[in-house]
Amino acid sequence: MTRTLTSKMPLPLAVALAGFLGAGAALAEEAPVENGASQVAITLTGDDGGSCVLDYDSAKAGPVTFSVTNETATALTEVELLNENRILGEKENLAPGLPTVSFTVTLGGGDYQVYCPGAGTEQVAFAVTGAPAPKPTGGVTAILAEGTEGYGNYVDGMVDAMVTAVDRLKADIDAGDLDKAKEDYAAARPFYERIESDVEGFIMPGFDVTSNEGNLDYLIDMRESNLDPAVGWHGFHAIERDLFGKGEITDETKDMAAELQTNVTHLAEVAKGLDFMPEDLANGAASLLEEVQSGKISGEEEAFSHYDLVDFAGNVEGAEQAFAFLQPGMEEIDPELTKQVNDQFAKVKVLLEDYRDPNAPGGYVIYTAELRASDAAKLSRAIQSLQEPLSTIAEKVATAQ
Amino acid sequence: MSKDRASTSAKLSRRGLLVGAAASPLAAIALPAAAETRPSEPVDHVNLNMEVPFYGSGGQAGVETPPQRYIHFMTFDLTTVNPRDLQVLLARWSAAIAQMAKGETIGQVEPAREHGIGFDTGEALDLGPASLTVTVGLGPEVFSERLGLAAMKPQFLRELEHLPSDAFLPQFTGGDLSLQACADDPQVAYHAIRDLARIAKDTGAASTRWTVMGFGRASAGRNQATPRNLLGYKDGTRNIAEPEDFDRFVWTRDDPVWGGMGSYQVARKIKMHIENWDVDRVSDQNNVFGRFKVSGAPLTGTDEFDTPDFGKTDAEGNHVIPRTSHISLAAHENNDGIKILRRSYNYTEGINEVGLLSAGLLFISYQNDPAHFERLQQRLGAADRLNEYISHIGSAIFFVPPAPEEGHYIGQQMFG
Repeated sequence: MTRTLTSKMPLPLAVALAGFLGAGAALAEEAPVENGASQVAITLTGDDGGSCVLDYDSAKAGPVTFSVTNETATALTEVELLNENRILGEKENLAPGLPTVSFTVTLGGGDYQVYCPGAGTEQVAFAVTGAPAPKPTGGVTAILAEGTEGYGNYVDGMVDAMVTAVDRLKADIDAGDLDKAKEDYAAARPFYERIESDVEGFIMPGFDVTSNEGNLDYLIDMRESNLDPAVGWHGFHAIERDLFGKGEITDETKDMAAELQTNVTHLAEVAKGLDFMPEDLANGAASLLEEVQSGKISGEEEAFSHYDLVDFAGNVEGAEQAFAFLQPGMEEIDPELTKQVNDQFAKVKVLLEDYRDPNAPGGYVIYTAELRASDAAKLSRAIQSLQEPLSTIAEKVATAQ
Repeated sequence: MSKDRASTSAKLSRRGLLVGAAASPLAAIALPAAAETRPSEPVDHVNLNMEVPFYGSGGQAGVETPPQRYIHFMTFDLTTVNPRDLQVLLARWSAAIAQMAKGETIGQVEPAREHGIGFDTGEALDLGPASLTVTVGLGPEVFSERLGLAAMKPQFLRELEHLPSDAFLPQFTGGDLSLQACADDPQVAYHAIRDLARIAKDTGAASTRWTVMGFGRASAGRNQATPRNLLGYKDGTRNIAEPEDFDRFVWTRDDPVWGGMGSYQVARKIKMHIENWDVDRVSDQNNVFGRFKVSGAPLTGTDEFDTPDFGKTDAEGNHVIPRTSHISLAAHENNDGIKILRRSYNYTEGINEVGLLSAGLLFISYQNDPAHFERLQQRLGAADRLNEYISHIGSAIFFVPPAPEEGHYIGQQMFG
């Protein structure tokens, strides 16, 4: 019956009917406006290996609030709203049973994508009708300035998500749950890796700049290869050693987790609201790629867990975001270079796809000694080809008129 | 960078990040001056016929000797517990080094006997002495109980303490003996090590452990222009050059009991992350070193030999030479006046297992107390901005005894 009827029905009616039937399918109807913002609900379920469903797939230009609920999707932990590769809004650390979380963004008319990494269908189209977002006036510098503001929001989102992820890691450790702690260790790592270049280098009040005792980056992310015996080992990688190297949670592990929580919370406070210049974004992207080369490809970063590819992807994503927020300005300054950098990012991402494993902690395969021996040179060369063109961008945006 | 709004409000300081913008205009001013050569700057000439005498009454050649162009450095493990074997090795090494330093072979290259085996391997024939020096060092294990030489141990000889950022690979670490062969022709240096390693095998006293071949001396001696490391920077501008400083900081006086005019040799293999460095912006590179790249001038000056002003701050109160820059942390002004002699070389060994250029610095320093090296590296290893681009992957320490008089050999006094 349904088949016959729908085939004769005008399309909008068919879709509306499907909605009335409560199938949860997307409607070609604009999201209702409440409290001054269009309201869109995103529901994550475990269906079809993980799916992400929108109740409305379009909205009027203006503020849009996305409310995200994870009902049953254990493999889906994040949702992003994308436009031309830029992450305009996102929620991380989603898990079934957690309360609904929402984010609001002001959108101009155009095509957007809701991205749910790891879902059966990862991208869902989202349309905004009405006037496109006004282009900034005042030339390249204004366009770049708008990009830095967007990037600042991205960083704020990352530090928030990092605090949440570390809270969860600490709860696992306090509960003595080794398996869960190992998984949540992988979940917590990428946040720091995405914004490392923006948040490293803070010295706590009362400490000398040449001492590591008050250096937040040291206390949070120091690897065994750079230890300062006078300060000892703290942070993520000391916890990693306990969880993966010793394979046990001791009282010392619990103390370190508590200390890590204190330090990332402190870091989030000072990192939020940082002002960025366009060249900071470009330099930050370049230093994230340096991190890939110096720590991840060699397998030095995650020496015990071998989650290096999770961090690798985190560094690349952070670099890509920084570049994406510069891109509208860079299109004006040097379209050819922009294309070159985009092409190289695309190549790196295609390469990374080969290592994706939705069932692995952090979403990537373990970087074993064998994998390193066979693939490290290939990964390194891809990053090198991206590093060279990317390194020339800072000067271009810093001197743009 | 200008993103310190939050950090200021939270009363946090950021390590050196704020200096880049301030330094850039200075760079623009300093660059024109950089192209000019100072009239007093020494010009290096290489004369491949130069000889450096091996025998003498002071320190061994290859310490105070102005650095030659090339090095071949090798360490050895003792394979004997009989002190007589070591004695024979040191005596034969000494005689061979003295001959090679004069550009001579150490034995027949092409024996007349049909089944004869050449003693000298021959590849340095006709190349001249090329200022060859070979400096012999003795590691801590030489003075362990098993050889019965414990009473002869130099006062400060011991393993170096664990220092910040040490990331050693066992294959580049340690050794009971060291040979530092330096020459203005790489094949002359290579030949010396190769033939001395043959002698070690022949005596059964020692076997090879790790080695580095280096080029492009990376530190200046007296009357030499300051060379550049592979990062493109002059990094030996404030090296020890004056005899008074050698007496004060390099040569031992009454140590060991069997003879002064020795020195402690520290050798470190330092890997450089070349690809990352090459795409770093020049203002950051300048801040990492605390100097301008081309001129070598400190960021507070315009000329290479201007004395750095470590206290100078910009309008925002940031140090113009970042306090975590290489020269600030290494400067004697900031280390209770301590100086060490640096005698380093660049090295390269192809492409590593992850497809990156495998290259860096063979750092060699001489000092009359290894604690002086530790004092400096303690601070550098903990906070040097250069650490982002380098890794200390190898390390060893040796005592370099004084030069022998003719008719004697290195370390002879130890054997009673």
